Amino acid sequence: MSTDLSMNSSAADAASHSHKFLTIADAAAALRDGSITSVALTADIVEKATALNPALGAYVTITGDAALAQAAAADVAFAAGNDFGPLQGIPLAIKDIIAMKGAGTTANSRVLDPAWGAGTDAPVVARLRAAGSVFVGKSTTSEFALGMPDASKGFPVPHNPWDVERTPAGSSSGTGIAVAAGLALGGLGTDTGGSVRGPACVNGHTGLKVTFGRVPKSGVVPLAFSLDSIGPMARSAYDCALLLEVMAGYDASDPNAADVEVPKYSELLNGDIDGLKIGLPIPYFFDHDQLEPEVRDAVLSGVQQLVGMGATSKEMALPYAAEAKDANMLILGAEAYAYHRNNLVNRWEDYGNLTRPTLARGAFYTAADYAQASRFRSMWSAEVAKAFEHYDVLITPSAPSPAQLVKDMDPSQRLVQPSYTGHWNLTGLPAVAIPSGFTASGLPLSMQIIGKPFAEATVLKVADALQRVTNWHLLHPPVETLYATAA
Amino acid sequence: MHSNEEKLAVVLEMSGITPPAEDQEAILRAFSTGRELSKLIFSVAQARYEEPALIFSARV
Repeated sequence: MSTDLSMNSSAADAASHSHKFLTIADAAAALRDGSITSVALTADIVEKATALNPALGAYVTITGDAALAQAAAADVAFAAGNDFGPLQGIPLAIKDIIAMKGAGTTANSRVLDPAWGAGTDAPVVARLRAAGSVFVGKSTTSEFALGMPDASKGFPVPHNPWDVERTPAGSSSGTGIAVAAGLALGGLGTDTGGSVRGPACVNGHTGLKVTFGRVPKSGVVPLAFSLDSIGPMARSAYDCALLLEVMAGYDASDPNAADVEVPKYSELLNGDIDGLKIGLPIPYFFDHDQLEPEVRDAVLSGVQQLVGMGATSKEMALPYAAEAKDANMLILGAEAYAYHRNNLVNRWEDYGNLTRPTLARGAFYTAADYAQASRFRSMWSAEVAKAFEHYDVLITPSAPSPAQLVKDMDPSQRLVQPSYTGHWNLTGLPAVAIPSGFTASGLPLSMQIIGKPFAEATVLKVADALQRVTNWHLLHPPVETLYATAA
Repeated sequence: MHSNEEKLAVVLEMSGITPPAEDQEAILRAFSTGRELSKLIFSVAQARYEEPALIFSARV
């Protein structure tokens, strides 16, 4: 792999101070050539996760003993010549709103019944287990995949490993932190308005929001049933492909699961994007006055690299982009409120102090608001489909700014700030967030690649093509300084 | 014209939610931004005659 040597000095410093971090693909190769065992890899990761959890808050529960047992089983299988595929023996993080045998599910909330999902694997977890994966533990989520941390509730507060004063974003905060800091080689997140892509963006790795229905979402505590999806998070697009080809596919337990063939995604990532047509939706996504120039410039630089590989790009417009973000928020709020209404009435103070007013917003929408947002959703999806008659992918920034300082964040501002991710939950389309560089101060930047329905292979192929000529996704935070903090 | 505080009190009573005083400011902000979102969604004339993206299929 050739590398882009144009990274700034802060990022280079961070890289030079790093531990050895493996991609899933690298670890899979090492497990097969005998240079590591899953037990050794898992023990190292469990040890790191345990040591750094006080500083980073990546995990609600670390299932160390069970993980080592899974790792030992993977090693025994290798020794016996039984190879269940690239995820065998690979340590993963499972977001704590997804059911997993051997660990409770909390949704980071005192409200969820501790018996929810007990003793069961969600179908997606069962598939990963059958593929020989190792589960390091249940990773931190924003409360019910929506709120912001409330330390008084007793759950770990997640921190960005690049700067612990900054947000790791949500809601799949823990998996995002774990991948960035080397506390798992990949994992599961869920995405309703950007909850896989946001953490991937600010923690400096890759995260894929899949087509609605691509991965069965039964066994997951719902946030908004018509927008929710489960997506892979990992250092590289290639690793996300390895995860997705196990995760995806029909399951009758989810009425929204799509009975659509699952390609061997990883075999389609060949670096060839010659003739690819890229649309750049300029209004709102590239010209908003709250979009930071460093973010925009990094995305456009990435697009130029893709053009240098044979793609073409053209500026275009998607009408009503600002309203599409609002429609996503409204539908999300209404569906989430319907799920939580009775508990908000009876157990208001059991919710976190920043979760409860956010959930209560759903009480302030009318049935007509929800129906009208759903009309808008139809119209906007049709507009996006029209655009895709001319383009293979659309590319935008993943977020208007790098990770914000937690002290400066105001949950009520989320509705008035621009956001570039919920649009694709509204349309159900696949979208991958990948690193696109670093700020002058050393914070990760990210770009988003959006594709047609079930075109995960295309968006991952474009992401992988860029990751073959850049190394942003391989850089990681200087976690050794955090060991001192944790100590 | 009723103030947002007065409208909020009515909506909270209807919904059965009884937030303590310490949450009133955050709830009022949530109410104001929520109603603003509604106005924006209804401002898009092109969406008026669309079939809502709500799916129901009759089945046996």
